[in-house]
Amino acid sequence: MSEKAKLLMIDDDPDFVEGIKAILDDAGYDVDVAYNPDDGFKALKSQHYDLLLLDIMMGRGAEGVMIARKMRKDPVLNEMPVLIITGIREQIAFLFPGQAVHPGFVATDELVEKPVEPDLLLEKVSTLLRTAAEKKAT
Amino acid sequence: MKHVPRILIIDDEEVVLDSCALILDKGEHELTTAGNGVEGLELVESLRPDLVFVDLKMPGISGFEVLEKIRAIDPSIVTVVITGYATVSSAVEAMKKGAYDFLPKPFTPEELRLITRRGLEKRSLVLETMALKREREIMRENFAAIVSHELKSPLGAVQQNLFAMTRDSGTASEKDKERLEKMKTRIDDLMKLIHKWLRGISVDMASIKENFEPVSVTACIEKAIESTTPEAVRKDVGIADAVHEPIRLVLGDEVSLTEALVNILGNAIKYSHVGTQIAVSTEEKDGRIVTSVTDSGVGIAEEDLPMIFDGFYRAESGKAAAGGVGLGLAITRRIIEAHDGSIAVYSELGKGSTFVLSLPVLRSAPSEEPGTEGVKDTAKGGTG
Repeated sequence: MSEKAKLLMIDDDPDFVEGIKAILDDAGYDVDVAYNPDDGFKALKSQHYDLLLLDIMMGRGAEGVMIARKMRKDPVLNEMPVLIITGIREQIAFLFPGQAVHPGFVATDELVEKPVEPDLLLEKVSTLLRTAAEKKAT
Repeated sequence: MKHVPRILIIDDEEVVLDSCALILDKGEHELTTAGNGVEGLELVESLRPDLVFVDLKMPGISGFEVLEKIRAIDPSIVTVVITGYATVSSAVEAMKKGAYDFLPKPFTPEELRLITRRGLEKRSLVLETMALKREREIMRENFAAIVSHELKSPLGAVQQNLFAMTRDSGTASEKDKERLEKMKTRIDDLMKLIHKWLRGISVDMASIKENFEPVSVTACIEKAIESTTPEAVRKDVGIADAVHEPIRLVLGDEVSLTEALVNILGNAIKYSHVGTQIAVSTEEKDGRIVTSVTDSGVGIAEEDLPMIFDGFYRAESGKAAAGGVGLGLAITRRIIEAHDGSIAVYSELGKGSTFVLSLPVLRSAPSEEPGTEGVKDTAKGGTG
């Protein structure tokens, strides 16, 4: 990546965010953080990000899914790649750890389970960024 | 006793009703009588009695019909049939329709009192069981929710930070790096335990059934082998997978069937001796897909066999061999039963075990399985 990719993370657990952000910072990404869905969506609307890291269970329930739905309706945000990082145990993720799980919320997304191994995290982020760039180029 | 048991007697003979009323102590029970089925059923609706005596032979709607209708109104109501023709067949027929017991005419006061007492005991057991089941369901749901969020979230946050620390541990001493690794391992074990536990209590078999579709058992086996291969390689255990074609599809949920097979295979690996083989064999036999998984590991003692499919149980021979909470087989059994299948185990202590899964084939759509390989080997572990 020639220029620093700008990422946004939306997650209501600051301690967890710290653990993810440290790994991404270290790998040279520029990471912004929002600790609730409202701030997160405002940030998404106000400036450009290359990728979103999204938690599912926030606040009163699956508020992360609401954000993904809103993004889907937005032609620009629908193009943004999303890495869903969730504590919800998807059966698929449980049976085939490390394999790609695409929830299909937006055009380019993947799901990983909390906690995320650093190598897996970095691999998913770079793959998603690349896939989204390729889609844009075509 | 705060609750006075309500008893209803439905009989067309007034003399029976009267004598019953005399025999059954008024203070202890609230007794109501009805002279025919229709009237009796109305009273069942309005009174919700604990125990109902039903005469089998009545003019109008028959005692059998009354039994069925009571069951439809409230299956927890205990019914006892009164029968003038005390043949075994009519009593059996009534019991099949859900009657708890039968009382042959003529009966002595002592017999009526005894059967009343037993019937009411049965009723309180039924009610107690229902209350416990309800309570268990609520607890299960609450507990699953609490465990999944309140327990997993903080552990996840700790682990994520440990991940970050071990990645950036250039300044840490060797001793500290070792400590960090140990912490990661322990938290990982703890999270796995929580997941397994959570799955054991919250797996909802009814919802699995909603997603049933034609599934290839051989495909599930392949996936299960793929997912357990790393563990097999680590223990230098080989897995030989033999499929005797042709094999038809079954109706099921691929993800849970694979999970069941992963559990069985995972156990086989866990309890195998280093360097041994596990044989997986699948064939269609009498309209069922039968898969057997045979290991030559530690085996299970005869006295432990009946318990291994219950939750939180681990056989003596298994305790020394491996960790775990003993839920895998309980979950597996529930998954297989949700598929109308069965699971059996044959084992000898010290010699190994064979688990046999049997699933009914999908009858409506016979299908040719892709792939013609007869016997193939997968996951040859290590150097042996």
